[in-house]
Amino acid sequence: MPPLPPTRQLIPLALAGLLATAIVAFIVVVLFMSWFSNPPFGWGNAPDQPIPFPHTVHAGAVEDGGHAIQCEFCHRNVTTGAAATVPAVEVCVICHKQINGANAKADVAEPETLINIQRVIDKHADGRPIDWERVHRMPDHVRFVHEAHLRFLTQGEERVVTLPVGDETPMTLPVPVQEACSVCHGDIAQMEEVQPQDGQSLKMGTCLDCHRENDVSTDCTVCHK
Amino acid sequence: MPNAQFEHKWGMVADLDKCTGCQACVIACQAENNIPINTKDYFLQRRAYEWIRIERYWEGEYPNVKARFMPVLCQHCENAPCEPVCPVFATYHNEEGLNVQVYNRCVGTRYCINNCPYQVRMFNYWHPNWPARMENQLNPDVTVRTRGITEKCTFCVQRIRRGELKVESQGGNRLNDETIAGGNYDPACVQACPTNALMFGDLMDPNAAIKPYFDDVNAHPGHGEHDRETRGYRLLEEMNTRPSVIYLKKVDQYPLPGKGGH
Repeated sequence: MPPLPPTRQLIPLALAGLLATAIVAFIVVVLFMSWFSNPPFGWGNAPDQPIPFPHTVHAGAVEDGGHAIQCEFCHRNVTTGAAATVPAVEVCVICHKQINGANAKADVAEPETLINIQRVIDKHADGRPIDWERVHRMPDHVRFVHEAHLRFLTQGEERVVTLPVGDETPMTLPVPVQEACSVCHGDIAQMEEVQPQDGQSLKMGTCLDCHRENDVSTDCTVCHK
Repeated sequence: MPNAQFEHKWGMVADLDKCTGCQACVIACQAENNIPINTKDYFLQRRAYEWIRIERYWEGEYPNVKARFMPVLCQHCENAPCEPVCPVFATYHNEEGLNVQVYNRCVGTRYCINNCPYQVRMFNYWHPNWPARMENQLNPDVTVRTRGITEKCTFCVQRIRRGELKVESQGGNRLNDETIAGGNYDPACVQACPTNALMFGDLMDPNAAIKPYFDDVNAHPGHGEHDRETRGYRLLEEMNTRPSVIYLKKVDQYPLPGKGGH
């Protein structure tokens, strides 16, 4: 077999070079996107809940058709402990004993809504918990105490701080609990479905920026356990 | 002043006169800090995980034998030999006088273990596992260390943080003497010790019960140890690691023939 002309000899080499470039470019793009998007590519966004829970209806303003329930009414541990906690079915039934299929308001009386309300009441009657899916998950080695952060935002004397989260407008503290939650979690009251991407990134940089800005310690052992 | 909250310098005193070698501190530490359960194999390979251990020494010849016990934990040295050898800054000294091990930074070179004169650092040679359903009793305040990293006593930093939060949320000052004396900050071993042989405290607190021992030992370092008014001494004092743990000598009322009082 006669040798190929020099130009055709280079074809396999050029193909290999193109392939290598494409692979490297792909890896770089993936790394960049996963670093700067939160959560990466939307993975880890709100999973489907066993029963849809629209925060708009429960925590939304009354003008918007909500019921303006305070955050800490359901997430009871948020002002006293580390975890905010998801309420027990009993807490749901405090209201849904009355607000059930028999006497729901006309505007919410869609058949699907009534079925979902009935499922909550049934769970309570059976004495079984609702297996809510966790939306915000911290790594195992992080200690985040809601109580301490809410104490900073909702208590103490009046002061103006700049929190390096959101639009970075100076805030006058203390603020009501509902506003304090929104600093990191976004405006939950406007969310049909809570999405981590609508709130603050839960990356370490976000924590550190705020700790530095407010003269809180940045020692590893403050947050890591 | 940045980091104004660091007004602590934690220290411990181990009174060997009170220590009976009962191992309650070892068990308490294991339960508190999610330490895997050691098997016979682990000990035979000298790879057992013990953040605090009771060292046992025999004194005298049979039948005139006495057992001596000494609890040994991370000494949280001020001049810690483990710190400068870490290539990734996984171990460092924080402003509270704690020698901190950052598990996520650790790459498992084991230089620190080899450089520690007290043999209190442990390497995770295996994936941690517990008998079925015992994972349910893991302490959520302490992370479970994975294979391939070094771990050691933290002076129960999770309890220190919890104590600080408890004091603060009650509107108190975390430097208040009463709150420290109230045991808000005590590590698991100190809490479990039935004879109060272990004492824990804050050296920045002028009224701390452990402070006189530290003052005395610091005033008479090294060869001045015979001038000390208390029974205090540090482990391997000649290495100048300046540990935050002070031991008090045992005083034996009935010494063995030919032996001193301690």
